[in-house]
Amino acid sequence: MPLGTASLVDTRSGADLDEVAIFERLGQGRLEPPAWVAMPAAVAAGAEPLIAVHGILRRAEEQARLFAACAAALGRPVVAPLFSAETFPRYQRAVHRDRADLALLGLLDALAAELGLATRRFALFGFSGGAQFAHRFAWLYPHRVTHLSLAAAGWYTFPDDAPFPYGLGPAAKRRLDFGRHCRANLRDFLALPIDVFVGAADNAVDENTRSGPAIDSQQGRNRLSRAERWTMALRLRALSLDIAPRITLRILDGCGHDFRQCVELGGLDGLVLPPPNEGDQVSTYPAYAAVPATGEPCQPSCP
Amino acid sequence: MPTELSLTRTLQHTAKWSFTSRRVKRDHAVRLERDVARAATGDLLLGRVALVGAHRRLQLAAGRYADLYEGDVVVLACGCRYASEQFEGIASIDPAGADLLAGGGLVGHVRQAHQRMQPPTRILPIGLLGNPQNRILNVRDYALPARRGGRPPLVVGVLGSAMNSGKTVAAASLVHGLARAGHAVAGIKGTGTGAFGDINAYADAGATFVADFTDAGLVSTYRQPLAGVEAALDTLLVHASAAGAEVAVVEIADGVFQAETAALVRSPRVHRLFDGFVFAAGDPLAATAGATWLAGVGIVPAATTGLLSRSPLAASEAEDATGIAVLTREDLRDPAGATALLARVRAGGRAAGTTAA
Repeated sequence: MPLGTASLVDTRSGADLDEVAIFERLGQGRLEPPAWVAMPAAVAAGAEPLIAVHGILRRAEEQARLFAACAAALGRPVVAPLFSAETFPRYQRAVHRDRADLALLGLLDALAAELGLATRRFALFGFSGGAQFAHRFAWLYPHRVTHLSLAAAGWYTFPDDAPFPYGLGPAAKRRLDFGRHCRANLRDFLALPIDVFVGAADNAVDENTRSGPAIDSQQGRNRLSRAERWTMALRLRALSLDIAPRITLRILDGCGHDFRQCVELGGLDGLVLPPPNEGDQVSTYPAYAAVPATGEPCQPSCP
Repeated sequence: MPTELSLTRTLQHTAKWSFTSRRVKRDHAVRLERDVARAATGDLLLGRVALVGAHRRLQLAAGRYADLYEGDVVVLACGCRYASEQFEGIASIDPAGADLLAGGGLVGHVRQAHQRMQPPTRILPIGLLGNPQNRILNVRDYALPARRGGRPPLVVGVLGSAMNSGKTVAAASLVHGLARAGHAVAGIKGTGTGAFGDINAYADAGATFVADFTDAGLVSTYRQPLAGVEAALDTLLVHASAAGAEVAVVEIADGVFQAETAALVRSPRVHRLFDGFVFAAGDPLAATAGATWLAGVGIVPAATTGLLSRSPLAASEAEDATGIAVLTREDLRDPAGATALLARVRAGGRAAGTTAA
């Protein structure tokens, strides 16, 4: 397991990145993707990790490094899974044949056992294709996600009757008909705090933008308009179900479709991981205090 | 009559202690009561295998099968059994010979049997086991402390159209899917005949807590008063909650027409214990009849499952007839499917997305 430490002091968060270990945890094929982990030397008690999912350029390490400072200031680890093109070619769908959702669940269980991370509930972030994955994962497993942050998704699953994964309607193949599960989880998903981000200049239609009359009509032509429509669709659907929406849209000035730019120019890291309020106490414990492995199930003991 | 010393030696070194006797402290057994005809439900019987019949193996307290041989000394629990595809028997011990009613170690008298069953394994009673105070050892006396008034946040019942309709597979599959989705799950066998197969299946599936009614002092729920079965269920759910279970999957044995199951499902107290149910059926007609019967007692299953789900055509017929989605065992084992089912249960069955349409 290659270990490395970042060497910068982050000027915004004030966190000393020498105190953050950044390393790659190797994966196990389809069962667990490899992941880049940014682990503060002192982890806040019960700290929810940030799970950060890369776009189709698969820059997991970059996400771990660029979120490390803000996360360290909160005593929170960052886990950036790496869904390889060979093993998870359609990871953005979350539940396509390669089932990236199951791989992430497996990774989280493994990290809980190995590193003692509190992975039962976590904040989830995704950029571009990672945002596609993240919102579908959160829709399928809303009980695992405390806060969902999506940046620059190319397209979304809408809370309408379009066939899954465009909407929640029946998919052509029953095997891939996860829209029925999303429909069941609709209320739980809409109750999540969801922050949507997109660069103000992320309005170009490029070769990676899924386009066509149907999707353009449903979602808009580019990432900017699609983020606006999706956010509005979620809010309206929440209100129709008497759920107070906690869904925000933030346009990042001067930013295009570039994660690093969104962080360095748009302050995306601090928006996803806002600093603690002044006076907040963050109690910490040494990292790598792995929890004991669980064994046999509990059976009622004899008197 | 064996001396106290030889009895102790037999019980500790020779006898095969059955699953249903597993909670009993063996060193409490120091006497034999020869009048076996006075045996009551739950009393422990020491006997010898006279003839190996339908049950060729005994489920041991240790959690494994033991082959049975004629002459084996066994510790069994007197009780009743209801199994439409095996035996129906009652808690009665004939001093001249008794019947092994179930592989989990239930002994009594067979009253009727499925045509394909061989004659039961015959047991020659030696005596009822007694403690130093001359009291017959009874499984009830070693039960978990009775409790009431608590339960895991979510409780899902698994009902079925009949024995072997797919309930245990459904329950274990749901346990697995929920555990994989990150829930702490209890797997509980709420009614039936004491046997390790079900709770072992729940444990293998990832349950963090497993128990059955034998843990609450009942060797079988057949011919038990409703209040006793309800109390056992209460106790098991309280202990599951204390063990940290967030969800309990509770399998109810046999079909909904079976007397104790029907009474249980009709009970307002039980309605309050469960958040929802899934229904396992063998074919579309059973699914439809079951849904209709359950609607009559105020239950709309969150899903249909069971043997019929293996056939896409049968599943479609059932969905068309009932409007209730059919889930396969793969659906239940899938953490996404299990999570969605839980949402449907919380929403009261017919939430958005529940129906098959």
